[in-house]
Amino acid sequence: MISIKARNQIDVWIAKYPKDRQSSAVMQALKIVQAENENILSASTIQEVADYLDMSGIAVQEVATFYENYNYKKVGKYVIRFCHNISCMLNGADDLIKHIENKLGVKTGEVTLDGLISVKKVECLGACVGAPMFQINEEYFENLTVDKIDKIVDNLK
Amino acid sequence: MIDININGNIVSAKAGEMLIVVADRENISVPRFCYHKKLSVVSSCRICLVDVEGAIKPQPACSTPVVHGMKVQTQNVKTKNSQKSVMEFLLINHPLDCPICDQGGECELQDVAVKYGSDISSFSEGKRVVTDSDIGVLIQTDMTRCIHCTRCVRFGVEIAGIMEMGGTGRGENLKIEPFLEQGIQSELSGNMIDICPVGALTSKPFKYELRSWQMNSIPSIARHDLVGSNLLVQPYKGKVKRVVSADNDLVNEIWISDRDRFSYESLTHKNRLLKPQIKVQGRWNQVSWEVALDYAVKGLNSHILNHQKADQLGGLVSNTATMEEFYLFKKILTEVGCDNIDYRLNVKNLDNTIILDSNIKLDALEKIDYALIIGTNIRLEQPMINHRLRKATKKGADVDVLNVMVFDFNYSLHTENIIAPNKIAFILAGVLKSIMINNGQELPDYLIAINVDEMAKNIAYKVLNSDSSVIILGEHIINNVDASTIANLVTKIAQSTNSRTLNLSITANAIAANLVGCVPQNSGMNVNTMLASDMRGFILLDIYPQYNFHHLGAAIKAFEKDDTFVISLNSFKDDIVVGYSDVILPIASIYETSGTHLNINNDMQSYIAAVKAPNEVKPAWKVLKVMADLLELPGFNYEDSTQVLTEISYQSHVSHTHDINGNLASYHNGISVIWQNSPYSIDAVLRHSRTLQKTKIGQMNNAYMNQTSAKALKVSVGDKYLGVFVVITDAVADNCVFINTNQTINIQGQA
Ligand code: SF4
Ligand code: FES
Ligand code: FES
Repeated sequence: MISIKARNQIDVWIAKYPKDRQSSAVMQALKIVQAENENILSASTIQEVADYLDMSGIAVQEVATFYENYNYKKVGKYVIRFCHNISCMLNGADDLIKHIENKLGVKTGEVTLDGLISVKKVECLGACVGAPMFQINEEYFENLTVDKIDKIVDNLK
Repeated sequence: MIDININGNIVSAKAGEMLIVVADRENISVPRFCYHKKLSVVSSCRICLVDVEGAIKPQPACSTPVVHGMKVQTQNVKTKNSQKSVMEFLLINHPLDCPICDQGGECELQDVAVKYGSDISSFSEGKRVVTDSDIGVLIQTDMTRCIHCTRCVRFGVEIAGIMEMGGTGRGENLKIEPFLEQGIQSELSGNMIDICPVGALTSKPFKYELRSWQMNSIPSIARHDLVGSNLLVQPYKGKVKRVVSADNDLVNEIWISDRDRFSYESLTHKNRLLKPQIKVQGRWNQVSWEVALDYAVKGLNSHILNHQKADQLGGLVSNTATMEEFYLFKKILTEVGCDNIDYRLNVKNLDNTIILDSNIKLDALEKIDYALIIGTNIRLEQPMINHRLRKATKKGADVDVLNVMVFDFNYSLHTENIIAPNKIAFILAGVLKSIMINNGQELPDYLIAINVDEMAKNIAYKVLNSDSSVIILGEHIINNVDASTIANLVTKIAQSTNSRTLNLSITANAIAANLVGCVPQNSGMNVNTMLASDMRGFILLDIYPQYNFHHLGAAIKAFEKDDTFVISLNSFKDDIVVGYSDVILPIASIYETSGTHLNINNDMQSYIAAVKAPNEVKPAWKVLKVMADLLELPGFNYEDSTQVLTEISYQSHVSHTHDINGNLASYHNGISVIWQNSPYSIDAVLRHSRTLQKTKIGQMNNAYMNQTSAKALKVSVGDKYLGVFVVITDAVADNCVFINTNQTINIQGQA
């Protein structure tokens, strides 16, 4: 069930778009609903968002599966979204991703045993100028190196 | 008009048209995958790239508008090279499993690969494999073959009106699938099979049956609704293997309903009647045609004709027969001196019938700006007509509905009014009154006391203020206590507002039955009178009482009477028919006979037999002709059914109207029951279509009512009402039970 509070938040977004274009609020709605549900979108919550915005379930699922900021599996308290798109890749992202996997003992897509950190490979986050880069929750970290990554990750509690 | 140059030839075009449209018109071939003439343009596959002079890169023909003086090359090296690269790209992840693919031989990808593909791919990595989801019993998926053209996705959004397929994931992980394994529900879903350019979506009942080049394609006409969609029937060694749609923009465009696509399966059902049989002293014998027909004719003579009792013979025919059959049926009866004929088997009271013209053509229907729909679940009952209305709503038309229950429309309605059956006439009277007051017309007596409520006022306002409107009257009204009044009110509303009307209270080939005159004239008895009279005999064409009759108990009783001689012409075995018949003659089913379907446009669409009927089964028109010969009736020297058709005169028997006779004084009380065969059970062919029966629509078998009606009828959820499971829902109006039943359980030995 989408809570009253979430509904109110979604309504704020719906109000920003022209009448009958409530589906434009789908990305925000998914974000709000995901935050309420332990950071996971289940099929039933997707259907609820679809019903609330008068969309078909599959149309919402298209959006939800396109963007990496929506999760279907359990994620950690901190989600490291590692860009592996062209600029970052040319600047060594692949090696750094391997490094972080080894360091945390998880593969991309998995969560550390203590539930603290999960790693995801994502597409360009629009910060190519600082490639290679990743995002932890809402924050960007750029010009990454092995040392820099170690420091950042070690500080996550 | 402008001129453009394609491959050195000057062709004229409308400015702004897409290049591919011009090329298609000029028969210049441009390959395409994502482009489809009935769907929106997304320009995503890039196979249609052509060389346009002045543009550095090749341009997609499907989304490049033409301008005067444009010079295009569709065959030069630049074009070919780009098409080659696109093909190589598309084939990266395509399994190239043509030898085991049902689309092989009719695959757009295969065709283009042969023409534009290259022999060697520079891609040597592994191909991806996509896991399939089960999307239902009608469509087989092999999504590894999908090239992501999104035709099926757009079909859902734009044509079927429900988005069922979608593209999930992105990049290499993009996958076309439905939401959560939830099967495809649309009543038009089979069209996705036709439009999928590759073998990703194919027909499940046809899976691994044959190669497309092994079959002929024989043009035919669909028989299950008022549209008569154009079809191609594809037989192999005398059996229909598949049915696909044929183009006809005035009728079905390029779409057909699932009902029309998959009903061919019934032809091979094990319940087909294959031999004539006669009942001698209570025992059934399978006999030759000569013996059976001789027995039938002798029976008619000895029971009826020799005693000059032709007025005690009854002829009943279902709305599924061909126009020629209706005609011969009527002619035989007339010739032996019998006027007792009827096809209106499901009407409770034939003094209270719907008489209403249909005077708008299918293609005009999509140009209306207002529709009032009364008493029909139009989407499932007349899918192709609903599709035209849906197109109109997409262009801005408003639709108001007066129904006894909330149905699932695939477009948004202006208002959806759920009202008790016994109030419909009063609402319409209110609408008429409001219109007449507005027009300054003098009110007839029966309108003076009528109260005009908001609903009526709003509808009247809409009908008055639209330029082209249509009022549609559906099947749920046929047994309404005010049926004839409702039809009259509709006619009057239409006349005073210049609206068109559409009579969907009948279906299948009933328009032909009417035209030919399969209703009693002069002193002839109608069906209900026949059932209540002491008849000496009946000739029954394609009748299965438990599905056809409103008064089914009375029907079975009338046929069962000891001294009543009953000749039945049927395609399928049926216990009840066996119970009362004296002769059962096996007749050809759809696609096995030539004939004519008269559709709502008044198009006489004739078709030939696509396959020969199995065993000793004969087309009904031939059986009727031979029976007439044996009865020594004059004028039955037909060699084929087209000779019958030329003889049919064009006089419609529906033009008379009754007038409204002041019976609008008070509501009729009590609960009305609207009983309908569910959409995939309306005729014997559909009831024997295995796969259709397994779909959600095929399984519909419920009696819907609201809490108050349930209390009044003393039933609750889980109970049966009139043999059908009770569903209690607010979606139904007061004082009303809406029953949609398939009753296939009653068909013996259903496969
Ligand atoms: S399934 Fe067929 S129609 Fe649908 S996207 Fe794939 S190739 Fe196109
Ligand atoms: S490619 Fe990594 S941020 Fe753009
Ligand atoms: S047909 Fe033109 S891009 Fe697909």
